Amino acid sequence: MDNDNRRASRRTEVLSNHLLPRPHTTTTLLSPSNCLSYSPPELSSSNPVSFDTSVMRSLLDGHNLDDRDWLFGLIVQSPLFNRQERGGRVFVSVDYNHTMEQQREETMRRIGYLLDRGVFRGWLTGDGPQEELRKLALHEVISMYDHSLAVKIGVHIFLWGGAVKFLGTKRHHDKWLRATENYELKGCFAMTELGHGSNVRGVETVTTYDSRSGEFVINTPCESAQKYWIGGAANHATHTIVFSQLYINGGNQGVHAFICPIRDSSGNVCPNIRIAECGHKIGLNGVDNGRIWFDNVRIPRENLLNSVADVSPRGEYLSSIKNVDQRFAAFLAPLTSGRVTIASSAVYISKIGLSIAIRYALTRRAFSMTPNGPEVLLLDYPSHQQRLLPLLAKIYAMSFAGLELKMMYVNRTPESNKEIHIVSSAYKATFTWNNMRTLQECREACGGQGVKSENRIGPFKGEFDVHSTFEGDNNVLMQQISKALLGEYIVCQTKKQPFRGLGLEHMNNPVPVLPSQLRSSILRSSEFQLDLFHLRERDLLGRFVAEVSQYQAQGESKESAFNLVSPLPCFVNYSFIDSLPYSLYVLPELSSCRGLGQSFLRTSNTENLHRGGVEGASWFIEGCLGSVEVVICLDFCG
Amino acid sequence: MAFNPKPDDDQVLVEKKSCARVIILNRTRQLNALSFYMVSRLLEIFLEDEGNPDIMLVIMKGNGRAFCAGGDVSAVVRDVKGGDWRLGAKFFENEFKLNYLMATYSKPQVSILNGIVMGGGAGASIHGRFRVATEKTVFAMPETELGLFPDVGSTYFLSRLPGFFGEYVGLTGARLDGAEMLTCGLATHFVPSSKLSLLEESLYKVESNDATTVSAIIDKYSEQPSLKENSVYHRMDAINRCFSRNTVEEILYYLEMEAMNNKADNWASTTIQTLKKASPTSLKVFLKLIRKARLQGIGQCLITDYRVVCHVLQGHYSKDFFEGCRAILMDKDRKPKWEPSRLELVNDRHVDCYFAKLDDEGWKDLELPERLNNLPPYVTSKL
Repeated sequence: MDNDNRRASRRTEVLSNHLLPRPHTTTTLLSPSNCLSYSPPELSSSNPVSFDTSVMRSLLDGHNLDDRDWLFGLIVQSPLFNRQERGGRVFVSVDYNHTMEQQREETMRRIGYLLDRGVFRGWLTGDGPQEELRKLALHEVISMYDHSLAVKIGVHIFLWGGAVKFLGTKRHHDKWLRATENYELKGCFAMTELGHGSNVRGVETVTTYDSRSGEFVINTPCESAQKYWIGGAANHATHTIVFSQLYINGGNQGVHAFICPIRDSSGNVCPNIRIAECGHKIGLNGVDNGRIWFDNVRIPRENLLNSVADVSPRGEYLSSIKNVDQRFAAFLAPLTSGRVTIASSAVYISKIGLSIAIRYALTRRAFSMTPNGPEVLLLDYPSHQQRLLPLLAKIYAMSFAGLELKMMYVNRTPESNKEIHIVSSAYKATFTWNNMRTLQECREACGGQGVKSENRIGPFKGEFDVHSTFEGDNNVLMQQISKALLGEYIVCQTKKQPFRGLGLEHMNNPVPVLPSQLRSSILRSSEFQLDLFHLRERDLLGRFVAEVSQYQAQGESKESAFNLVSPLPCFVNYSFIDSLPYSLYVLPELSSCRGLGQSFLRTSNTENLHRGGVEGASWFIEGCLGSVEVVICLDFCG
Repeated sequence: MAFNPKPDDDQVLVEKKSCARVIILNRTRQLNALSFYMVSRLLEIFLEDEGNPDIMLVIMKGNGRAFCAGGDVSAVVRDVKGGDWRLGAKFFENEFKLNYLMATYSKPQVSILNGIVMGGGAGASIHGRFRVATEKTVFAMPETELGLFPDVGSTYFLSRLPGFFGEYVGLTGARLDGAEMLTCGLATHFVPSSKLSLLEESLYKVESNDATTVSAIIDKYSEQPSLKENSVYHRMDAINRCFSRNTVEEILYYLEMEAMNNKADNWASTTIQTLKKASPTSLKVFLKLIRKARLQGIGQCLITDYRVVCHVLQGHYSKDFFEGCRAILMDKDRKPKWEPSRLELVNDRHVDCYFAKLDDEGWKDLELPERLNNLPPYVTSKL
C-alpha cells in the first residue's frame, strides 16, 4: 500500500511538472570551449612584433607597393568581386557556387572593370624596366584574387600581346599593340596541340604560301594537329597566334608564328575555322579553353610575325639567323615572361596558404598537456611547427629569389638571355612544385576547415595544379638545367676559362674543406651551409660530366648518354636549385636591417639544414661526409 | 597651452544618469573645437569609465549649434610657432590615443550629432559604435583646404565607405547632411532633433552594455530620411569612375571628362574647383594615406596618421599647414599660397617621406594604449 502511495505521489509530481510552468533553471554544467573564443593572433601580447612590419612588406614585395595597394582597393571596393562583409571585415574571393559559364562571364566582366579603371595601361605600349615591374606587380595582385582572371588576362596580354611585341615588327606593333591593350580585340595563343605540348618543334599544323594571292594557308591535317587547351578560344577570342610548320616551295622551314582571326567582332566564328570546348577542368573554369581546327584558312602574308624570319611577296624564305636551332629558340622568347610570372605567383599562393594555416594554428586548440588544463594551441606543438615552419622559411628564400629573377628579367640584355632562360626554368619548376606540396600540407594542417572552399587553400590546389605542366612541363624544364650546366662545364673546360654565370663562380675557387668536428654552431653558420651546397654541386656536376663523356666516348649520342646516367641529371638539377637562391639573395644586405635581418637569417639557416637533410640526404649518404651522425644532426636541427 | 578666459574644466561637462555616462562638449564660442585640455579630459574619462562596472554606455553630445567643429588647430599652430613643433605634436598624440580608445572601447558610445561635426569632431564620434544624425547635422573632413589632411584615423572609416566615396569626401572636404551620412554608413541612425530628449531618456534606462540592446532603443526613435534631390550620393557612378584613379592628376583628368560629357550638371566642375583650392601636397598625401588605410587596422592607421602629422608640423617638405591656418582661420583672406603650388610640382618622393619614421632625436612612433582581452567582436574586427 505504501509503495502504491509513493508511486502515486511520484506520478502526480511528474504530471504536475508537465502542467505547471516552472522557472527555467539554467544548467551550468557546460561552458563554452576555449577553442571557440577567437582572438586574432596578432593581438596576443605574449609575442610582440619586434620590427616594423611595413619594412618587411617592402622587402618581400620589393616594388610598386602603391600600385598594388591601389589595385587591392579597386578590387575590394567594387561589387563585381564577390565582396562579403563578415564581422566588420571585408573579404573578397570568387563565388565557389557558380557554374562554369557563370565564372567565365564574371571573369570577362571583371576584366572590363579593370580595363575601364586603367589597370592595363602601358602593359604593352609601355617600355623599360619600370613599366614592366608595374605590370608584373599588378598581375601578381590579380593572381592572388583569382587564377582564372590572371590567366585570362595573361593569355591576352603576355602570350598574344607578347608574341605580337617580341616576334612581330613595326607593322604588327602599330596595328595590334594598342588595340590589344584596350581590348578592342581578344587574343589567344594557339601553340599546343593534342599530340604535341612540350615538343613544340613537333607541331603538326601546316602553313603553306600561295604566291598568286599573297596569302598563307593554314591547315590542320589530322586530329593530332588540332590546337588544344587554347585559353580564351572557346567563347571569346577574336584573334590567335598560330604556331605551325612553314612549308616554302615544298621545304619545311620549321615552326613559325602567324596572326589569324578566329571570330568577327559580333562573336561569330570565322569561316573555315572550327572551335570546340575543352570541357570542365579541375580548376581555372573561369578560362574558356578551346580546341581549334584550321580548314585551309587564308591569311595575308603580312600576318607572319617576321622579326626573326620573313617570306617575300614572291615566296622566298628569308632569315637573318641561319642556324635553325637558334631561330627556333628566338620564337620561344615570349614564353620567358610566362615562367617569371608563374614562379612569382606560385610563391604568393604559398604565402597565402601558409598565412592561413599558421594563423589557424595560432588560434585553434586541441588536447591538453595536463589534466584539467587548457587545450594547447596547434602551433605550440613541435610536430605542427615542423610541418609548417620549414615551409615558411623556404618560401622566404623563394620570395627573394623570385624578386631577383624579376629584376634580371626586366633588365634583360641579349647576353643575359641564356642565364634568364635557365634560372626562370629552374625557378618555375621548383616554386610550382613547392607550392603544391605547401598547399597540401596547409590543407591538412587546417583539418576540416581546410576542406571548406571559402577558406581558400582547397580551391588553390585545383586552381594551381596546372602550374606544374603548363608553360613548360616541370620535368622537361629541369632537364634544361642539367643540359645547360653540362654545356657550360665542357666549354669552360675546353677553353680553359673560368666559370661565369649560372651561379657556377664558386667552381673557380679551391674546393671547400669541411671541418672534421661538426658542432651545431658550425652546422648553423651560413659559411658552412654555403660550402656544403657548393661542394655538392661541384661533386655532382663533375661526376655527371665525367659519366656522360664516358658514354659519348663509347659511341653513344648525347641524348642517350643523358638517359643512361639517369638519375644523376636530376641530382644535378636539385643541387643547382638549392645553391642558387642562397648565393643570390644577399644575406649581408638583410643583416643590415636590424632585428628583421636576424629573424630572416635564423629562419633561412634552419630551412637550409632541413633542405640539405631531406632532399640532399642521398648525396650525404653516398659518402661525401661519410658520417651518418651528420645526417641525423641535419635532419633534427629544427 | 592656449590662454582661455573661462576656467578650463567648463569645456567638458560630465554627468552620470544611472548607468550612462553623459559627456557634453561645452566650448560653444569655438563651436566645441577640441582644445588640448578637452582632449586630455576626454581621455581621462574614457580610461576611468572602462574599468567602472556601473557605467554601461557613453553618450556624447555638444552644446550650441555644433557637436564639434574639429581640433583646435589654431592653438597647435600657435604652440609650434612659439617654439618646438613637438609641443604641437603632443596635442595630436593625445587626440589619436583618444580616437584609438573610442574605436576599441568595450562599451558602446552613442554620439548625438545634432549640428556641425567636422575633422576632430568626426574623430571623437565616428569611431564609436553608434552615431545618431539629425536634420541639423553637417559633416565634413575639410582638412585639405587647410594644408593638413583628414587625420584622427578617419582614413580607416572613410576607406570603408562604399566605392570611392571616402576618397571623394576626404579630398574635397564635401559637406554631407544627416540623410547622406546614414546612407553611406557614417551615421548608424537618424533621429529627428525633436525626439532627441526622449531618446536620451530611454538611453539612461539601459542596464547592459550589450550593443544590440542599445541599438534597439535608438531604433525606436529612428527614421529613414530620403536623400535630397541634388544629393552628391546620387552621383556615386561618377564618383567611383573618377575617384578610383591611381593619382590625383588622373582624378582631375577624369573629372574634367565628366564635366565635358555632362554639361547640364555642374557637380564635376564644382568638384574640380574645390580640389584646385586645396593644398596639392595635402591631396597627394591623403590619397596615398587612404589607399594604405583600406588594407590596415585602426591602430596602424593612427600610427601612420601620427607620423604624417609630425612631418607636417616639422614643416620640412612643406609649410602648407601653417599657410592654410593663416589664410582660413587667422587672417581669413581665404587665399592661401601653397608651396609647392601645383600638383605637378609636388615631388612624389617627398610624399613617400611623410610615411617614414621621423629622423629626430627622441621621436617615437605613436604608442597605443593597451586594450583588454575580451573586446566585443565589432571591435576586434577593426584591429
